[in-house]
Amino acid sequence: MSNDFSPAGTPHRDRSPKRKRFSPTPTDPSAKLQYAYDEDQDVPSDADEAFHTPASALSPNGTTVTPKRRKTSPTRPRSLNYRPHFTLHGHKRGISCVKISPRGHLIASASADSTIKLWDARTGALQHTLEGHLAGINTITWSPDSRVLASGSDDKLIRFWEVESGKCLETVLVGHHNYVYSLAFAPKGNMLVSGSYDEAVFLWDIRTARLMRSLPAHSDPVSGVDFVRDGTLIASCSSDGLIRIWDTGTGQCLKTLVHEDNAAVTSVKFSPNGRYVLAATLDSNVRLWNYVDGRVVKTYQGHKNVKYSINACFGTYSSMAAMLEEAGSPDGEDEGEDGERDSRAKKQWAFAAIGSEDGSIVLWDVSSKEMLQRIPGNGTPVLAVDVGMEDQTIVSGGLDCCVRVWKRGLGDASETTNGDGAIEENGTAHVNGQTDAQENGGDVVVPIANGNEESTTEAVDGDGAGDEMEKAMAMVLE
Amino acid sequence: MNLPLTDPLLLAQDIPESLSARLRSSGQAVCIRFSHRGDLLASGTAKGTIAIFDLETNGVARKLQGHTTGRTVQSLSWEKSGRYLLSSSIDWKVILWDLKDGSRVRVCNLGAPVYIAELHPQNWLMCVAALYEYRPVLADFTDVKRTHQHALPNLPKRGAHEAEASEKADAKHFTTVAAFTPGGTHIITGTTKGWLNLISTSTRETVYSTRLCSKPILLIRLSSSGRDLLVNASDTIIRTIKLPDLTSPTLSPDNINLEVEHKFQDVVNRLSWNHVAFSSNADYVMASTLMNHDIYIWERGHGSLVKILEGPKEELGAVEWHPSRPLVAATGVESGRVYVWGINMPQRWSALAPDFAEVEENVEYIEKEDEFDIRPAEELQQRRLDQEDEEVDVLTVDEEQIEREGGFKQEREDEFRMPVLLDMGESDSEDEIVAIGTGQFRRKSTAQDEMGFEDGEGEGAVREGGSGRKRRRAD
Repeated sequence: MSNDFSPAGTPHRDRSPKRKRFSPTPTDPSAKLQYAYDEDQDVPSDADEAFHTPASALSPNGTTVTPKRRKTSPTRPRSLNYRPHFTLHGHKRGISCVKISPRGHLIASASADSTIKLWDARTGALQHTLEGHLAGINTITWSPDSRVLASGSDDKLIRFWEVESGKCLETVLVGHHNYVYSLAFAPKGNMLVSGSYDEAVFLWDIRTARLMRSLPAHSDPVSGVDFVRDGTLIASCSSDGLIRIWDTGTGQCLKTLVHEDNAAVTSVKFSPNGRYVLAATLDSNVRLWNYVDGRVVKTYQGHKNVKYSINACFGTYSSMAAMLEEAGSPDGEDEGEDGERDSRAKKQWAFAAIGSEDGSIVLWDVSSKEMLQRIPGNGTPVLAVDVGMEDQTIVSGGLDCCVRVWKRGLGDASETTNGDGAIEENGTAHVNGQTDAQENGGDVVVPIANGNEESTTEAVDGDGAGDEMEKAMAMVLE
Repeated sequence: MNLPLTDPLLLAQDIPESLSARLRSSGQAVCIRFSHRGDLLASGTAKGTIAIFDLETNGVARKLQGHTTGRTVQSLSWEKSGRYLLSSSIDWKVILWDLKDGSRVRVCNLGAPVYIAELHPQNWLMCVAALYEYRPVLADFTDVKRTHQHALPNLPKRGAHEAEASEKADAKHFTTVAAFTPGGTHIITGTTKGWLNLISTSTRETVYSTRLCSKPILLIRLSSSGRDLLVNASDTIIRTIKLPDLTSPTLSPDNINLEVEHKFQDVVNRLSWNHVAFSSNADYVMASTLMNHDIYIWERGHGSLVKILEGPKEELGAVEWHPSRPLVAATGVESGRVYVWGINMPQRWSALAPDFAEVEENVEYIEKEDEFDIRPAEELQQRRLDQEDEEVDVLTVDEEQIEREGGFKQEREDEFRMPVLLDMGESDSEDEIVAIGTGQFRRKSTAQDEMGFEDGEGEGAVREGGSGRKRRRAD
């Protein structure tokens, strides 16, 4: 397939799978950079590069020498370079959940300070502060039409908010006996599933605010719930170490997934096609389960997660070429190539993302388990990550009380260094190199788009961790 | 998506077994109809209101008010995508609703009480209606300002020599029911004198007629393939009839010869049937009957009775079979509730405990060669990680899967999804009549009703059948 490990014409280098897997952070930064350069050699050369680089477009004589191999299988990028775009300040306490709206226009962040803030995804402007809960908010979820936001709080209530006006709707779901810990909307928007500290999973008919079903789910707080894409299955997970798959229609448990270590599961998420579930556990592992067979198909490692309830999620990425085309080809010059461009743009790969207690965000390719990027942080745990499916945006929030928005850099290390200077920064490659090399931790100085200063590493850690009423709070292991 | 995890034995089951739900009715439901995708159920009431039920939540998703209050809704007909719904009433009106916002796209007065109205299967701006003591009408809604109504013939097609003799008899010959064939090329009507007429939609002329009986025809249903016809007549016999391929260009009216395939009737009591329906693939025929609480299901291959669905202790009116699943809905004649029968899904206990498997008998366990070898944990872990080398695709949704989901395609833009209204809760102010004993009725307040529904239990007369319900309640 596309991610062949030793393309023809690449100088031989030791790329034993073993090394790939067990030293996710290459010790030698230059080695990683070198990979990136290889990638370029893999790219058949100028003619092709010209084809998908808008700036240089086509050669004057209109040659469209596009090697077939390249066309059918665009190369999968070996690394990503998400870079800081915004840092959104405003929350007074740790952030427990961030979610990008399905339409991609808004970012919602929920905090232990009992408020939810809605931010414009494009400008970073604060749109609304939603106040109404009486205790810290653990979880939020968008309705599929992006018009309503649901929130679950330590005050045991689930509230709905009209996004447009920022008003709290009259509908309140009352029923949980303890903190509401996790929420998910059904894909049709007619049902809501909630998981709570009372160890139950509730299924609500949200039109009438009626409790449809109570699933006797777990023997510990239910830390994560999710609906599959057609709404027929519900997944729930708990600190009891179990992941259960439920039939929405009958309310019956269809499958239970448990790893032998029995580590507390903190989040569960169906894959976009609904065939797998991604689960994060407090043994610093993220696992991809084939839930039909009940086995782990992938284990992702490299982050730290032993204390907080951190969610893992899916994202997609395309080849740099496709991205460049999408980002900037206002010229009609290469319109003839539309069909080919489409086919290339369509090719997408998936990554899994999770925040880490060391402050970074880690992205892995789903299939190869390669670490695509470790987005460095400032050392305070990142508790929530969400990826916009459309425009390659990552949003994160954590104990430092800031919402951070990350955009994929246009000039990827691998392709800008090709030399045709299609897109801005040559410096990106450098930054990216360091990024991948990582371990420079917080002192990588990254220019932030809107000029916000990197927030300081205040002693917020204790804030969230100490308070039992927050989700931002430690899951007690013993 | 739940199919791979569902017991194949249960999936193989194609007839519902037991009462699984009661839909909280908003008024007395008299006619019901599933949407083509099967996620919604429309119900029309005796008071002229229409409620759309969401079959996932069993709650009301939308209410439509537009027919004259107090006049019974006679029929409902869905447009393919589920966005538009046609309703007809004895207030002479047919209304085409847009479920996106609950507005009325077209309101048309047909000049007489409507027996039944049905949308053209391909063109939702056209409908056919059978009217009380009038000629049936083909109405074209294309023009926003004015609906074009074309009268269709009542009378059967006869040879020249028959014409004179029957003139007198034709005086009181009316159409009672009309239906489109799935292709929309033809309309099949039934008359008060037991005739079945096949009318071409384009020419609006009768191309073929046949007489089934001497009593009025009450209902005509077509299977989704369009090759099977189900006719309920007031002579207490239900007939199934094989149809030729009406879309075939080579079909000539002279070659049509409709023959009755099966006749179903209650030989003992000779009770007439209230309502009839085909199953989703037309393998079964079901009917509700006068003065009886059961639904009869016949298998069509042999024409044998295969199932009697028991349920509430009241007579059932309209019955409908879900377009894809073994699910049956029926209205109660007295209470006006909508009852739903489905398949029982018992909890498999092995699903709760992953280390256990359900086996028929004892199985001798054969351990693997290295199963109980003692190795360092790290090494095991390492090996396990190394084995995770398969390609996984978490993005691609294959066509087959979409198909299985009943055409629920997220990406498709023309796919209509009804907006979810968050304020349905208190809007149900209509009173409901509930039977509390033989011949005794009382009004029931909304609050009580809501309670009753949440419990999954009716009150009084409709209490039975709760045993078939496998629903866990929160305390």
